[in-house]
Amino acid sequence: MTTTPEAVRQSRTGTMDPVSWRVRVVHTTGYRYEAPVVQSYNEARLTPRSDRRQNLVVARLETTPATRSYRYTDYWGTEVTSFDLHAPHTELKIVASSVVETTEHVQPIDDASWADLRGDGIADRYGELLEPTRYAPRNKELISIARKLRTGRRPMEAVLAVSEWVHDQLTYHQGTTGVHSSAIDAWQAREGVCQDYAHLTLAMLRSIGIPARYVSGYLHTKPDGAIGETVRGESHAWIEAWTGGWWGFDPTNDIEIGQRHVWVAIGRDYGDVSPLKGTYSGGAASAIEVSVDMTRLA
Amino acid sequence: MLARNAESLYWIGRYVERADDTARILDVSVHQLLEDATVDADATSRQLLTVLGITPPPGMELDVWTLTELVAMSREHAGSIVSSISSARENTRVAREVVSTELWECINSMYNAVPERQRAAKRVGPSLFFSFVEERAAMFAGLADSTMSRDDGWRFLVLGRFVERVDMIVRLLMSRVGDKPSSPGWVTVLRSAGAHDTYLRTYRGALDATRVVQFLLLDRLFPRSVFHALSQAESCLDHLDNQPSTRVGAKAEASRLLGKARSELEFLRPEELLEDLTGRLLGLQQCIRDVGEAVALQYFHSVPWVAWTNAEVSL
Amino acid sequence: MNRASGNGDLFDNYLDPKRPHAGAFDEMFAADSTVRSAYRRLYDSLSPSKPADLATRAEALDRALVDQGITFSLSGQERPFPLDLIPRVITAGEWAKLERGIVQRVRGLEAFLADIYGDQQIIRDGVLPRRLITSCAHFHRQAAGVSPPNGVRIHVSGVDLVRDEDGTFRVLEDNLRSPSGVSYVMENRRTMARVFPDLFAKHRVRAVGDYAVHLLRALRAAAAPNVADPTVVVLTPGVHNSAYFEHSLLARLMGVELVEGRDLFCRDNVIYLRTTEGERQVDVIYRRIDDEYLDPVQFRPDSVLGVAGVINAARAGNVVIANAVGNGVGDDKLVYTYLPEILKYYLDEAPLLPNVDTYRCWLREERQYVFDHADELVIKPVEGSGGYGIVFGPDASAKELAAIRRRVRANPRGWIAQPLVQLSTVPTKVGQRLKPRHVDLRPFAVNDGKSVFVLPGGLTRVAVPEGSLVVNSSQGGGSKDTWVLAARSSTVDPELSGQRLGTPQEESAPERGPELTSAQQQQQQQQ
Repeated sequence: MTTTPEAVRQSRTGTMDPVSWRVRVVHTTGYRYEAPVVQSYNEARLTPRSDRRQNLVVARLETTPATRSYRYTDYWGTEVTSFDLHAPHTELKIVASSVVETTEHVQPIDDASWADLRGDGIADRYGELLEPTRYAPRNKELISIARKLRTGRRPMEAVLAVSEWVHDQLTYHQGTTGVHSSAIDAWQAREGVCQDYAHLTLAMLRSIGIPARYVSGYLHTKPDGAIGETVRGESHAWIEAWTGGWWGFDPTNDIEIGQRHVWVAIGRDYGDVSPLKGTYSGGAASAIEVSVDMTRLA
Repeated sequence: MLARNAESLYWIGRYVERADDTARILDVSVHQLLEDATVDADATSRQLLTVLGITPPPGMELDVWTLTELVAMSREHAGSIVSSISSARENTRVAREVVSTELWECINSMYNAVPERQRAAKRVGPSLFFSFVEERAAMFAGLADSTMSRDDGWRFLVLGRFVERVDMIVRLLMSRVGDKPSSPGWVTVLRSAGAHDTYLRTYRGALDATRVVQFLLLDRLFPRSVFHALSQAESCLDHLDNQPSTRVGAKAEASRLLGKARSELEFLRPEELLEDLTGRLLGLQQCIRDVGEAVALQYFHSVPWVAWTNAEVSL
Repeated sequence: MNRASGNGDLFDNYLDPKRPHAGAFDEMFAADSTVRSAYRRLYDSLSPSKPADLATRAEALDRALVDQGITFSLSGQERPFPLDLIPRVITAGEWAKLERGIVQRVRGLEAFLADIYGDQQIIRDGVLPRRLITSCAHFHRQAAGVSPPNGVRIHVSGVDLVRDEDGTFRVLEDNLRSPSGVSYVMENRRTMARVFPDLFAKHRVRAVGDYAVHLLRALRAAAAPNVADPTVVVLTPGVHNSAYFEHSLLARLMGVELVEGRDLFCRDNVIYLRTTEGERQVDVIYRRIDDEYLDPVQFRPDSVLGVAGVINAARAGNVVIANAVGNGVGDDKLVYTYLPEILKYYLDEAPLLPNVDTYRCWLREERQYVFDHADELVIKPVEGSGGYGIVFGPDASAKELAAIRRRVRANPRGWIAQPLVQLSTVPTKVGQRLKPRHVDLRPFAVNDGKSVFVLPGGLTRVAVPEGSLVVNSSQGGGSKDTWVLAARSSTVDPELSGQRLGTPQEESAPERGPELTSAQQQQQQQQ
C-alpha cells in the first residue's frame, strides 16, 4: 500500500524541495466478480479537491464498462462520482486521473492552548471529530498513553508526539490488515498499513481532546522525484489536527505534509471517505490489481 | 399494472377456481361412495387423489372421512380446498389495493369462516362444507363480475380462472379414462362439472362416454367445457398483449400454446375423440403448465428479494 | 341527572376516589362528578343503556373489524385492532387551539430541517449547539444537500399530545418520520358509524374520511414541477409489517400502487416501477420504510426492503422521497426540548402548544437535578419508541434507580427526564362497566407546501390495564374513535360546505315484467 517508511524518511531532514509541484495521478482500481453481475451501484471518492495548499487543475473518471455517472458533493465536501451498471459484466474497472498542483510543507499551527480546546466553543464546533468511531474506537490503555504524551506539551507538540509514538509502535506491513480492522486491532498486532497509522493517531488525539480528522489521498514515493518520471505512487492516508487551525501530518512516514501529498477526501475515519464502494447482487467480488501512477510534471 | 399484483390476481383466479372445482369433484365422489356400497372405497379414493395430484399416504386404508380430510380440510397438502382458500386470501391481502373491498371481504370472511364450517362438517357430514365453498366461489365470481373494471387486472384474474378450469376438467376426465363407456361413473363426471342438466337437455338423455367427453371437451356453449375455457383464456391474453402485431405466427408464446390447443380441439373429428384419450388429456395438462410458465415470463417480472452484497476496495 | 355515580349501571363507582392516579383530568366528569359540556350528549345517550347493550355492540364491532380485515400484526400474528366502544370527544374550541399549535410546529420544524440539511444557519448563529445535531443518531449525513422540489420534508406528521392534570394539552413528542395510525382513525370511524348510528345522529362530528385526498394532493404537489402527471407509489416493507393494513388502505384510497422494494429499481438515478407493460417512471415515493433500510448503497447494505440508488435519485431531483430522509433529527427527544428556541428563531413566535417539562441529562445542572430527583421522574431514552426502556421513577426500586443513573452517566446524550404526567382519562369499557382509563392523542398533519392540513380527529390510544400510563398498541393498548365536534356555524368546516350537484326530479316507478293475473293463478291451482 504505502511505501516503506525508510524510503522517505530522509525528506524530513533532506534537501529543500522546490516551492510547488505539478503532479499527474492515474489511479486504476475496480472489482472482478465470480459470476456476471447485472445490478451494481457504486460510489467513487477519487477526485482530489482544491484548498490553500493544493490546486486541482483537471480531473476525470472513466469506467469500463462505460457508465453515465453523476457527481455530487457529500457532507464532508468530498467530490463523489456515482454510477450504476445493469448490463451483465464480470469486471468493473475505474480509472481516475487528475493533475494537481501542490505546495510546500504545511507548518504546524500552534495557536490554541489546552484551555482553548477544552472551551465549550471548540468542543461543540468539532464535536463529531472528537467522538470515537468504528475504526478509531475508545480504548482505556491508549487513553492513558495519550495522557502521558500530553504532559508538559502544548497541543501542537502533542500531535507530533502522538504521531511519532504511533510511528514507532507500528511496523509497516503491507496487507497485514484489511479495510475493516480498527486502530485497536492494528495496535495489538503492532503492525499495519497507513490507514491503521492514521486511525490509531486519531483515536489517541481525540481521547486527549484534540479535534482530528482522517485524510485520504496519494503519495508520490520519491522525495526528489524528477520531472517527467512516472513512479509507482500509492494511495495513502494521514491525519489533520486542529490546534488553532487545521494542519496535516503523516504518521505513517513521520513526515510533514508536502508537495508529494495529494489529498482527496477528509472525514471522521475511513468509513466516510472509502475510495470505492458499491452494492451489487451476485456472487463474490475481489478487487482487481490497484495501481497508482504518479508523474511529476513541473 | 404492477407485475407483482398481476401475478397475485392471476393466482387468486386460479386458487378460487381450484377450491371450487375440488369441492365439486369431491362432493360427487363422496356421495358416490356413500350411496353405492359396492364401490371399493380405498381404490376409488386413491385414484381420486392421484388425479388431484395429492400423494396418497402409504399404509392406510382410505374411506370417505380420510379422503375428505386429505382433500378438503388438510392444511399440509397444497392441493386441498382449505389451502387453496388460504392461498387465495393471502394473494388478495398482498394485492389488496387492486381488488374491490367487496371482493376482499368475500374472501376474507370465507377464510375466517373455515374453522367453524369444518366443525359443522364433522358433525353433519362434509356436503355442507362443499356447498359452502361452492357458494362462496360463486359469490366471488359474481362480485368480481359486478365490481371490477374490465382492465388488465380483471383479465389476469379471469385468465387464472380459465387456465385452472381447463386443468381441473382435464383432471376430472382423467379420473374416468379407465372406465367402460357405459359405466355409470360418467354421470358422476357430469355432476362434478355442474354439467348434468345442460348435458341432458343437449343430448336428450342419451348417456355414453363419447358424448360426455365430447360435451366436456368440445362443447362451444357450455362454460365449463375445456374448449370454452381455452377460448376465454386466449381472448384474455389477446387483450393483454399491447405489443404491435407480428406478421408471422402468434405474438407471444402463451397465446400460441393456447391457440394451438384450442384449434386442435376445434377441428377434431368427434369419432377420433376417444382414440388415445389419455394422451390427449396429458397433452392438455402439459400445455397448461407451459402456458403458466410463458405468462409468468412475459408479464410477471416480479423479482425475488435481491440480496445485496457490499463491495469495497481498500486503498 | 348528570352525575357519575349511583345512577345507571354503566357508570357505577366511576370516579372511585381510591383509583390509581386519581389526580388525573377526567374528560367526561369534572372533579365534582358533573358531566363536562363536551360529553353531555354522549352521557345522556349512554347512561340509560344496560351492560348487555354494550356487550351486544362490542360483539358487532369485533366482527365488523375482523371481516373487514382491520388488523395489526403483533409478532407475526394477525389481530383485530382493539377499538373501544366509547368515543373520545373534543370540542370545536379545543380543536381550533390544537390545530393552530400543530400547524405552527410543522412550519417551524420544516424550516429547521431545511436549515439543518442545508446551510445550518441556526448553528452558525449560535442558537443551537452543533453537537445537538451531530450527535443525533437520526442526523443522516447522506441526506445533506438533498433538497426536495417544493421544499417539503414533513409531508405527514403525527404529534403526540397528552392532557395534564389541569386539562392542558401538551406535546409529548413529534413524529416526523413515518407516523402510523391514520388508517385506524378512518376505519374506527367507519366501524363506529355502523355500530352506533344513533350517536352520530345526535352529534355533529367532523369527517375524517377524506384524509387520503389531502395526502395524495400533498404527494403530487411534492413532485418536480416539470412532471405533468406525477406517478405516486406507496412503498411498504411487505405484508408482514405491523402497519401493512395501513399501507394498503392508503394506497387503495389514493388509487396508487402499493409497492415493495423489489417492484422498484433505479437506473441512472431514475426510479422505475416494474409493470406488466414494462418500466414506468416513478416521481414520488411515499415510503413507510425506515431510513436505515431505504437504500442499501447509503445505509444498511443488508437491507432487502429498500431500493438501491434511491437516495442519489432523490439528490439528482428525479424522485421525491416522502417523508424526506433524515427527518429523525427533527423529532429527536432532545431536539424537542429546544423547540421554543427553534420556533422563535424561524417564525419569531412562542409555542402555542407547550411541551412537557423536560430535563436534559446532557446538561450538567439538569443531569444533577435528575439524579437528585430520579424517584419522582420518568426517565426516557432519546432513542426508541413503543415505551421500551422507560423508567418510571416512582415505581422503580433503589437498585433500578442506581442502574439508570449509571446508564445516564455513561451516555448523557441518550436520556431525558420528565415529571410524571398523569394522562387524562376517558370512560372505557372494561368488562361490563365503564371505567376511567388513560389516553393520549395523535392528530395527523399533511403539508402540501402551501398549507398544513390537520385531520380533524386523530388516534386516541388507551392504556387498558388499570393505572397504566403506557399507551401503545404493542403493549396491549386499545384505541378510541376521536370525535372533533363541528362549530355551531357549519360553513366553517370545509368538508361540511359545498354546492349540491343537482336536485332529484319527479319520481318514476321501476318497470316490471309480465305477471300472471290472479285469475290465471287460480285456474292453475284448481287443475
